[in-house]
Amino acid sequence: MASNKKDDPEKLPLLGRKLLWLDNMKNVERIVYGLYFTCFVLFIADFFYKKKTYMDIEDVPGFYAIYGFAMCALLVICARGMRLFLMRDETYYAPNDVESEEHPEANLSKETIND
Amino acid sequence: MIDVFPPAFFFLIAAGIVAFLPQGIFRSALLLLTPIVAGLYIYDLPHGVGGEVELAGLTLEMMRVDKLSVIFGLVFCLASFLGNLYALHVKDSIQQIAALAYVGSAIGAVFAGDLVTLFIYWEGTAITSVFLIWARRTEGAYHTGMRYLIMQIASGVILLGGTVLLYRETGSIAFDKMTLGSLATWLIFLAFGIKCAFPLLHNWVQDAYPAATITGTVILSSFTTKLAVYALARSFPSTEILIYIGAVMTLFPIFFAVIENDLRRVLAYSLNNQLGFMVVGIGIGTELALNGTAAHAFAHILYKSLLFMSVGAVLFRTGTAKGSELGGLYKTMPLTMIFCVVGAASISAFPLFSGFVTKSLILSDAAHEGYYIVWGILLFASAGVFHHSGIKIPYFAFFAHDSGLRPKEAPTHMLFAMGITAFLCIAIGVYPDPLYALLPYDVNYVPYTTTHVITQLQLLMFSALAFTVLMRTGIYPPELRSVNLDTDVIYRRFLPRIITKLRNIISGMWLFGTWFASRKVAKLVKTLHNSHGPEGRMARVWPTGAMVLWIAIILSATLIVNFI
Repeated sequence: MASNKKDDPEKLPLLGRKLLWLDNMKNVERIVYGLYFTCFVLFIADFFYKKKTYMDIEDVPGFYAIYGFAMCALLVICARGMRLFLMRDETYYAPNDVESEEHPEANLSKETIND
Repeated sequence: MIDVFPPAFFFLIAAGIVAFLPQGIFRSALLLLTPIVAGLYIYDLPHGVGGEVELAGLTLEMMRVDKLSVIFGLVFCLASFLGNLYALHVKDSIQQIAALAYVGSAIGAVFAGDLVTLFIYWEGTAITSVFLIWARRTEGAYHTGMRYLIMQIASGVILLGGTVLLYRETGSIAFDKMTLGSLATWLIFLAFGIKCAFPLLHNWVQDAYPAATITGTVILSSFTTKLAVYALARSFPSTEILIYIGAVMTLFPIFFAVIENDLRRVLAYSLNNQLGFMVVGIGIGTELALNGTAAHAFAHILYKSLLFMSVGAVLFRTGTAKGSELGGLYKTMPLTMIFCVVGAASISAFPLFSGFVTKSLILSDAAHEGYYIVWGILLFASAGVFHHSGIKIPYFAFFAHDSGLRPKEAPTHMLFAMGITAFLCIAIGVYPDPLYALLPYDVNYVPYTTTHVITQLQLLMFSALAFTVLMRTGIYPPELRSVNLDTDVIYRRFLPRIITKLRNIISGMWLFGTWFASRKVAKLVKTLHNSHGPEGRMARVWPTGAMVLWIAIILSATLIVNFI
């Protein structure tokens, strides 16, 4: 999330200025550690309440956590593998496809904060 | 019997008026007021069947008002209002008229009481919506629009075929609960399946939606597929095959969504995945599951519009919606980013957001009815949708690496449209009772229990953890400028190639045949010329004198025979 170039805060919208702290990698690290901590708390929360379940497997402590993590990792690894034989150049279907075209300027209003 | 004015006509008449109204405040007002007036009108409609019209000996019912049709009618009006507000800057009459006529057709289809009325509006949605793709006015959009139109019209023609066969079999054209069995019902099922983007029939969604204009995609995403969900819920509840079709639908698009670069196409894949949940609900067919389908369709239309709006706003300001080209926009488009995150949280079913209170109706009923494997797939798909829509879309558009782009915040009317939609997504999540009151059956379901909240948060936060870990270890596939082959490669590449090959073989055979035959004929002519031509041998042995002599001989012989 680190920025390549320094932004002039004056030109940013108010909310954008408030979000500038995300430019600092240290703060990004803090968010990541916050996520680790949240996950830890959620995992151990399973030991402190009576789960209302339909299936035996749901009673395994942290089942949803493990399932979510494992399946997402599996999803990404499979999808990455799929790229090997599914990925083609952007112009593969051209000119019968919009993928390699620029979006027509008439539909856009490309203003920047410096305008 | 009720005698009511069909609400579809509000939109169709407005579309007609827009054609003659100059661009400006009156036209904008008409575009915004029509869905509001139609929505209020639908909310107050008395329940029953009416609007009968005689056509070629058949009695058509233009209006069937019940809780199922009303909830879809209402959310269509809401989506139309939000879509038109978002598109307020568009000064293209074709898009404005197409958008109104498209919504009118969709609402007409929802209130149709018979299959012929349904067919008319069904085709109406196809013909009007394609203009939202063609309005991009590029060669690629033209070809994409043609592919879209072929699929949509094919669906309509199959529906008509099924209707005709059903009428021959049963003498009825009622658009009501059916049981799969005869060819007629299978054809109707297939027609609905094409529009609902069943697996292998799904490609038109991912092909066409990213090809439309920025505002066109927002409008397209709300109607056609949800109309098909309504049609399935009306005709094929408790059809077991739908449970498995739906489960596959939730599953395979998430893989494609992870590797897709165009963020609007990622959203089209996740749209497909969300339809899967609704289809499973229809297949289970209990009151809870059908409530789940209707509620999820309602919530889905809103958060999916919101996501398409936010990515559209980025496209509007930067000229691209590709993950590989974007990143770091959170500073300059913070409001759009926040609205996108609200949409992402809603589709991911975070507690306090709309998806949480609607999707769980379907998931818990799948478990309750004993479809454990399907439940496992739906749970995986829920984690997956958070992964690619919930995290990937906001992350690659607004965070990730700094693309160097510094676009201005989206225009005010877009921010209003997104803001209202985001508010509704949160409102439904926090206080679902008004939505539950609109559902077809009484709701006896409490979404906010300790177990549900904690297990859902575990699922989502650990999916986020997986994303973070994979991102930081470099395993997560980077966004690359590319297209990924889906099953549409069969009809876009393989079939045309096979046809070209066959054409070459057949034309080669034809050329060889004609060459061979003409050579033979030429040879024959030459031979005949040699033998019978002026210089030919045969011509030489047949002089005129010889013929005169032979005639004289035959004549004399005749005379002798006569004399004797």
